[in-house]
Order: sequence, then structure tokens, then C-alpha cells
Amino acid sequence: MSARKTALVVAPGRGTYGKGELGSIARLHGARFAEQIANFDAQRRAREQPTVTELDGADRFSVATHMRGDVAAPLIYAATALDYLSIDRDRFDIVAVAGNSMGWYSALALGGAVSVDDGFRISNAMGLNSQTHGPGGQILLQVVDEDWRPVPGLRDRLFEAVDAIAARPGHALALSIDLAGMLVVAGNEDGLAALLAEAPPTPGRDPLRLAGHGPFHTPLMFGSSDKAKAELPPALFDAPAIPMIDGRGHIWRRFASDPAALWDYTFGHQILAPYDFALSVQVAVKEYAPDVIILPGPGDTLGGAIAQSLIGIGWQGIAGKADFMARQASDPILLSMGRAEQRALVVRA
Amino acid sequence: MDAAQAVHEKFLAALATGRLPGRGDAPDAALIGLSRAEATDIFLSQLTSRQMDRLSRHLQARGEGFYTIGSSGHEGNAAVAAALRVTDMAFLHYRSNAFQLHRARQMPGGTPTWDMLLSFAASSEDPISGGRHKVIGSKPLNIPPQTSTIASHLPKAVGAAFSIGIARRQGMKDLPLPDDAVVLTSFGDASANHSTAQGAFNTAGWAAFQGSPMPLIFLCEDNGIGISTRTPTGWIEAQFRHRAGLHYIQCDGTDLAAAYAGAKEAADYARRTRKPVFLHMATVRLYGHAGSDVQGAYLPKALIEADEARDPLLKGAALMAEQGWMSPAEIADAYEEIGVTLARQAEAAILRPKITTAAHVMQSLIPPKRAVTRANAPSDEDRKAMFGSDAQAMDKPMHMARLLSWALADLMLAYPEIAVMGEDVGPKGGVYNVTAKLHQRFGSARVVNTLLDEQAILGLAIGMAHNGFLPMPEIQFLAYVHNAEDQIRGEAATLSFFSDGQYTNPMVIRIAGLGYQKGFGGHFHNDNSLAVFRDIPGVILAVPSNGRDAVAMLRECVRLAREEQRVVVFVEPIALYMTRDLHEEGDGLWTSVYGSPGDGARIAFGDVGVHGDGSDLAIVTYGNGYYLSRQAEKLLAAEGVRARVIDLRWLGPVDADKLVAAVGDAKRILIVDECRITGSQSEALMALFVERVPEKKVARIAADDSFIPLGKAATLTLPSRDSIVAAAKELLA
Repeated sequence: MSARKTALVVAPGRGTYGKGELGSIARLHGARFAEQIANFDAQRRAREQPTVTELDGADRFSVATHMRGDVAAPLIYAATALDYLSIDRDRFDIVAVAGNSMGWYSALALGGAVSVDDGFRISNAMGLNSQTHGPGGQILLQVVDEDWRPVPGLRDRLFEAVDAIAARPGHALALSIDLAGMLVVAGNEDGLAALLAEAPPTPGRDPLRLAGHGPFHTPLMFGSSDKAKAELPPALFDAPAIPMIDGRGHIWRRFASDPAALWDYTFGHQILAPYDFALSVQVAVKEYAPDVIILPGPGDTLGGAIAQSLIGIGWQGIAGKADFMARQASDPILLSMGRAEQRALVVRA
Repeated sequence: MDAAQAVHEKFLAALATGRLPGRGDAPDAALIGLSRAEATDIFLSQLTSRQMDRLSRHLQARGEGFYTIGSSGHEGNAAVAAALRVTDMAFLHYRSNAFQLHRARQMPGGTPTWDMLLSFAASSEDPISGGRHKVIGSKPLNIPPQTSTIASHLPKAVGAAFSIGIARRQGMKDLPLPDDAVVLTSFGDASANHSTAQGAFNTAGWAAFQGSPMPLIFLCEDNGIGISTRTPTGWIEAQFRHRAGLHYIQCDGTDLAAAYAGAKEAADYARRTRKPVFLHMATVRLYGHAGSDVQGAYLPKALIEADEARDPLLKGAALMAEQGWMSPAEIADAYEEIGVTLARQAEAAILRPKITTAAHVMQSLIPPKRAVTRANAPSDEDRKAMFGSDAQAMDKPMHMARLLSWALADLMLAYPEIAVMGEDVGPKGGVYNVTAKLHQRFGSARVVNTLLDEQAILGLAIGMAHNGFLPMPEIQFLAYVHNAEDQIRGEAATLSFFSDGQYTNPMVIRIAGLGYQKGFGGHFHNDNSLAVFRDIPGVILAVPSNGRDAVAMLRECVRLAREEQRVVVFVEPIALYMTRDLHEEGDGLWTSVYGSPGDGARIAFGDVGVHGDGSDLAIVTYGNGYYLSRQAEKLLAAEGVRARVIDLRWLGPVDADKLVAAVGDAKRILIVDECRITGSQSEALMALFVERVPEKKVARIAADDSFIPLGKAATLTLPSRDSIVAAAKELLA
């Protein structure tokens, strides 16, 4: 047995670079990855966009600016990729990577299917182009109780409500992302309004409309898919060096992955159909049995969904939030790089 | 050195030195349409399967794994998986790990290695059997689990393939198998000799020979040996190259491109022509039959070494290197990484929960109930149109055979998924006319005249049930079921158990049987033993004694199959088929007027029939015994004995509570059993009454332990009216 711990790395998606993360790229990576950041900035500058350095270095966090796709996506990608590069590979053997939603574009780079620079190019382009859609957005709904265990029947009731609404003329509504404890449902304005009015009661907080988000992972995004395929050629893609688990739970294996097929999935199905994040985590832990799961920054908000995905399959006896917290306190299975104390366990000294 | 370790080290040495075997005349991957990604993916599945075999042995040595029959040398079946679709149902033999691992690659979201490891570890979370058995199988991957006696899964593969054509002809939609599916079944060269396998080849060929669609691939993975007995060189090819109705294709399963080419050709042929293919794939059995088998004990060393040189991984590596897709060093690296990953997964898998109670073991013996679509509710006009001139006879009392034939017709009208199959069930209407006019009314797609092979009939039923039909096979005589009993015992009855209730094969098997035919037939037409059905967990055994009950019970049997997915055996007493009278000629007491569906009293599963309420004596019986006991009861009544006669109706399982309630205040119990005393129902009934009502006096009369002779001697060994009367008097004395 090697002293290195095996790790699954899960790249976060939208909504993870918030007020608390402002300035974090420069603070955490400015010294070590100055050249890489300069490359990112150069890409932005060439497209006449404000640079990562400028955005990260803004005086204050602006929801209107920083949460917009064309700003959030490159910031998130940069923070994720640089965190990933900071992982101490002498201590951690990364056996698989996955991502959540736009985190998939980061995962492509983490897995080596695209270069770090091309990963930025893709994330940057997709941040902009994901705004290419008709009116619509996403709603977040909680489906677990206080101990993060499924509320019996709630998922089914929600899906029934979604299907019933989607069947009405002029209403578009569908599952967008399955986060285990939360479901993200996306649709057009009529569909979303109907869901807010008719959703069965959910525990914890009320259904939440996600600001600045489009109807991601639904057929309403076809414009984005077309544009992505036109702008971002298959030549950017290669077979991965580390197995990658996508939003269908499919494993892209080393040696055996067709870059053209990967490109087609990334800009087709991945954009137009639900992203099953919970399944991707569950597949990853079952098929690679990592010692730990590393969540690179920015932030740590995806940690809950990762934990809830593990709870969903009772992974290593973790059957609820209390189990998870106890495990985290004794021998953490999830290492969030957005948390200073856990980051210290992951990065090179 | 351990044989598995030896093969492993040879592979590593070949990679280290780059000394890989030539691929001979094996095809160029590009020429057969196999891309780099596809070929490499197959190869990785093969490497995974191999490492899993090694791991299974290590786990067993640690007491954490429970199965070591491996797939090593048979990894070519991964290429077969690549050539087929997930919707092509696959009935696989036990060296098919690589097939399953690779089929899973076609369906995102699966966790094939984790699932297989749970199965090795007999964890209750094993998604196919729930920890009951190491089986190759998966519900989402359309691989029904097999843990068969040798080749006993082949007849149902024939049935499943046959069902595809029937479904298409009938315009049935939303069945498990799409219209353009093919069925795959695999087995070894040794198993190919088994009579069950031979029957399946024959049935498929027989059907195809006369133009019936049979989109089926028989995959013979020929490793040249069965445990320790070698298959004569060339035997399989000589047997099958020119077999009527079968298209023969040969390929080398030790080369993944050659295996893929052969499998693709077979799949294309079966899909295009809808005819059966015999795909003869050369494989090699590396390191013995199972973990405990040391092949050095019976095979010369040179032969073992020659086999090891044919290791499919070596040729796979040669292909990868030749194409520049993976260097030997990369292969070694990937192989090592797979092994390390599996070992890590195994440590997690062995910690998963196990089955710990008998109740949990038995949970899936009885399939789960299912929501079924409502039956057609045929209108009176529909029924009149179907019954034609029979409709006018329906208000007259009829014998059991006629009543059953009408009940069958009504059931087939109401449930389009019902199909009837058997010898002579077609235009002839069966030996006893019970399927009379069904062929004319419902056509040859739903009323299938089979060849003369009970294994084929039951296999057809099981296979059709896998594809959503509700089969009602007919076995012409009870004695004929015995040559095919394993299709019920080992296959139909076990499917729910070994699949944790996920796969089911609901059906109602009608069997004409039991003794007392007036001077006709001798033993094989009068067999009087039901023991074969009585000890099979989960199977329901029903025996009606009269036409009215038979109709109600048959309807209940169909309900049990449709709604509760049960395997039901319905034994029809031949001697009572045409019986009209009970006490004297012309009394007509054994006839009844046909009750339309919904009319008359329902007989629920477990309900017993009770005639009379006498408390001197309860006669507990069934079938012909009930008929004779009714005659005896009249004679006893004339002598002042107040008796009641209880018809069990449902023999497997007996509802003990209902039976004891029916016995009520009767002080004595006489069991009358027309079957041979040893192994008969009477044994269980004696035990039941002793345990449940020890205060009552119990006696029994049953048939002697004899076979049935011919002519007037036919009933000498059986209970009779008079022997029942005598036994009753003795009990009352």
C-alpha cells in the first residue's frame, strides 16, 4: 500500500465564486501561478473582456457583474484549475475527476482531455454562450430533511408536478441538475412560475430561483449547443489522462475515449439534457473507491451535494448528515479547498 | 506456482520484453469497422475481467469471496458485447464477466465492477441477486441471471427469440424486446453436448427451417474441455457447420478483432434474416475449471502451456501495439492500475451488508406483485362473435374439457398477451380437445403447435414470459413433464429468487394427468405422482376436480400469473375431462353450465371446496379422489355416517388455516390421495393434521407405490369408491 491517498476530484459549477471568494485567486495563486493567470488574462484581453485579474481584484463583489455567466465561469474555472494544480501529488493520487454542470468544463482540463488553457477557453466561451437562450432559468428545490435523508416520496411528487406542468401548452419545465439533496429544475418563465406556485412543500427553504442562470441542461439551450459546436472545435479535445465521470455517470476511460465523442457529449447532451451530478459522484466512488474526495475552490458550497450523494448510497456507512459530520471530524472523507483547515491538508506545503 | 499467478506473470513478462504473439490472419481492426476507441475499450474490459478473476481467488482465500469460476481465456466475449445492443437480451453462461462489463459500457451510469464485486462478496446490495448467488446478470443490461444446470438456459433463449416475431405479428408494443432485437445465449463446448442444449439447437433449427423468425445467436465458447474431459478436436464444427436451420460462423475469440468480426457478422445476420446463428468462438480455459481445480492433475504440461500461449490478452496486446494504440508499457500500467483499483473497491465491497436472516433469503422466492393494464372487457357481441355456434350451447351443462376450452377462449379474448403452446394444441385442439378452436379463433401466433419436446415447450413459455407474454403451455401428459422438469424446477421457479424479484416468468402450465382413465393408456398416460411440483419453492400447484371449479380456478391462476407474476402448474385430471355423471348414469351431476367471466363465485388461491357439513368424518382429498369420495359419501350416508368432503383444490402450497377451518368439528379425518403413497400429498396432510389438530383421529388411503398397468388392471393400485368406504368405516369403528 502506498502512503499516497487516492482521491476523486470534483470540480464545482456556477454559483461558487461569491463575495467571500473575491480576491482569492490572487491571494491563493498569484505568486505560484502568475504565468498561468497571465495566460488566462491574455485570452480575455484578446476578446476585449475584463481579465481574471481585474475581476478577481475588484474593490467589491458585484452580483450584477460577478454572477453573470461570462464573468462567473472564467473566474470559477481559474480558481478550480489553479486549486487542482496546487494539490500535493506526492500525497494524493488522483484516480478520477468529475464536475458539476459547468464544472464539467473544468473536469475536462483536470482529466487532461483539454489543456489548462483550452479549458479556460471553453469555460470562457461557454460562460458567454450559455446566455444564448430564450427566457427562462433554474429553480433549486430541497428534497432531503435536516439530516440530509430523502423525504419519502418528495422526489416523485416533484417529478409528477414537473411533468404535469411541462405537458401544458407554452410551458417548458424539466429536471436540470440532480444534486442528491437538491434538485435543480429548469424551464421557461411560464413553467418556472407554475412550479413556484404548485411545487409540493419542501423542507428547509422554499424553492429558490437562481439569479442569472439560464434554463441550463434542457433543450431550451439548443442555441448554446449549436454555438458551442461552431466555436469550439473537436481538435481542442484529446483522450483523458485520468478517468472522467460525466453528467450521465459515464466513465471516459484513459486510452479508450474518442475525443470526437467527448466533444459531442460536452457540447450536445451535456448542454441539452439533465446533469446527474449525484450519479456522477456515486459512480466515481463505487468504481474508483477513493480514500478521499477533494473539492477544489472556489468556495465549498458543492460539499453538501457531494455529502448527500454519498448518503444516497450509504457510502462507507454514511447514512445521514450526522454520520457525515462525525466522519469529517475524525477522518475527513471530503476535503474542501475552499476551507482553510482542509486546504492545508491538500496543498503542497 | 498458482496457475492464475503463472498466467499473470507470463502476461507481464510478454509486455516487459515486448515479445507478443503474432496475430496470424486475424483481421485488421479498421477493415472490420472497429475504431481505436472501441477496440481499446474492449481491451480494457478484458483486462478488467482478468484482474477480477485474480481478485476473486484472493478474496476466496481470505474468506471474503465465494465464487471462483472465472472468465480467463474467454474475454473474447467482451467483443461480442460490443457487436450487440443493450436491448439484445443475453442469456449467458458463467464465463461471461467480460461480456457484462463491456455491455455496461453502452449504458452510462452503471457501476459494473462494483456490482460484480458485491456479487463476489455475496452482499445483499448486489444489484442482481441481492446477495443470493454469484450470477452474471443485470436488469438494466438485459442479462437475466443464469445459474443453470448445464445448458438449461438455452431453451428459454429460443423462446425469447421466437417471441420477438410473435410480438411483431401481433403488433404488441412496449415489450422488453424491441422488434429488431436479437437474443444471445452462450455456453461452452462441453455443454453443447447436453440434451437440453441439443433440444434447443433442434428447436431453433426446426422453427427456422419452416420460416419462423428466430433471431438468435448461439454463442459456443469452445475452450476444448469440460472440467477434465476434452472435447474431441473438431467435434463442435463437425456437429454444427451443416446443421439444418442453423447458420454457422466461426471466429477466434482469443483475438478481439477476430471475435468482434465474427460477432458482428452473426449479429448482422440474425438481425437481418431473423434466423438463428451458431457462432463458434474459439476460446481457451486458463487455469482450470474453478479455483479448486488443478488442471495439472489431468492435462499434460505441454497442453497447459500451449493454452496459456493463446491467452487473449496477449493477442489483444499485440493488436494494441501493432496499431500504436497502447504501448506494452502503457498496457502494463493500465493493467496494474485496474488491479489496484479493483483491490481498493473490493475492500469497500466486502464491508457492505450481507443477508443475515432466512426471511431475507426467501424474500424473492415469490415475485413482487405488479400493476397490470386492465384486461380488455370484451363486449357480449365480441364474445358471441368469437364463440359462434358454441354460444348457443352455453346454457347447457357441459363436462370439464368443454368448460375449460371456453374458459381459455374467454381468457385469450380478454388478455391479448396470452399465448398457448404445446404438442397438437393447434388445429387438432389438443388430445382432449381442451384447446379446441383456439387456433381458429386466435391464430397460429397465439396458439403454437410445437415440436415434440417438452423442454422446448417450457423453454418457449419461459422465454416468451421474459418478453411480456403470459404463456399457457400445455404438457400433453403428466408423465411427459418429467423429462423437462428442470425447466420448471431449475429455471422458471428460480428466476425471481436469483434476480431479487427483478426478472419473472409468470405462466400457467396446463398439464393433463393423473389416473383412472377407463382402461386407456397405461402408465405414461395415467401417471399419478405430483411430487415433482410439491417441493419447489414458489410454485403454485392447482388440481381441479370438476368443470365449474376448473373454470374459476383457471381464471384465478391467470390472475396469479398476470398480477402476482407467479409460476402456476394446473393439473387437469384426464379421467374427469369428459365425466358427466356422479352416482348413476345420466344424473349429470359432474357437469355444469359455463359461467361467463365475472359470473359465479370466485375461487381464490388457497380456497378449499367443502361438500356437506357432517361432523362424523371429514374426507380430505382432491381431483379424482374428490369425485370418488363424493360417491363414497353417499354410500356412507345411507349407513348413517354424516361426513363432509373437502376438495383441496390448491395442493401447493396448501392453505393450512383454511383447511383446518373446513374440517371444523368433524372428529375424524380421512385423507384420500390418488397419488403414490410415497411422496404424495397425503404425507404432508398427515403431518399437518397431527401438528394442527392432534386431538382428531386421522387416517389415509393412497395409491400403492406402483406404476399404472394397462387395461382393467389400471385402477387396481388406486383408491376406489369402495376402498374409501372401507377405510372410512375402519376409521369410524
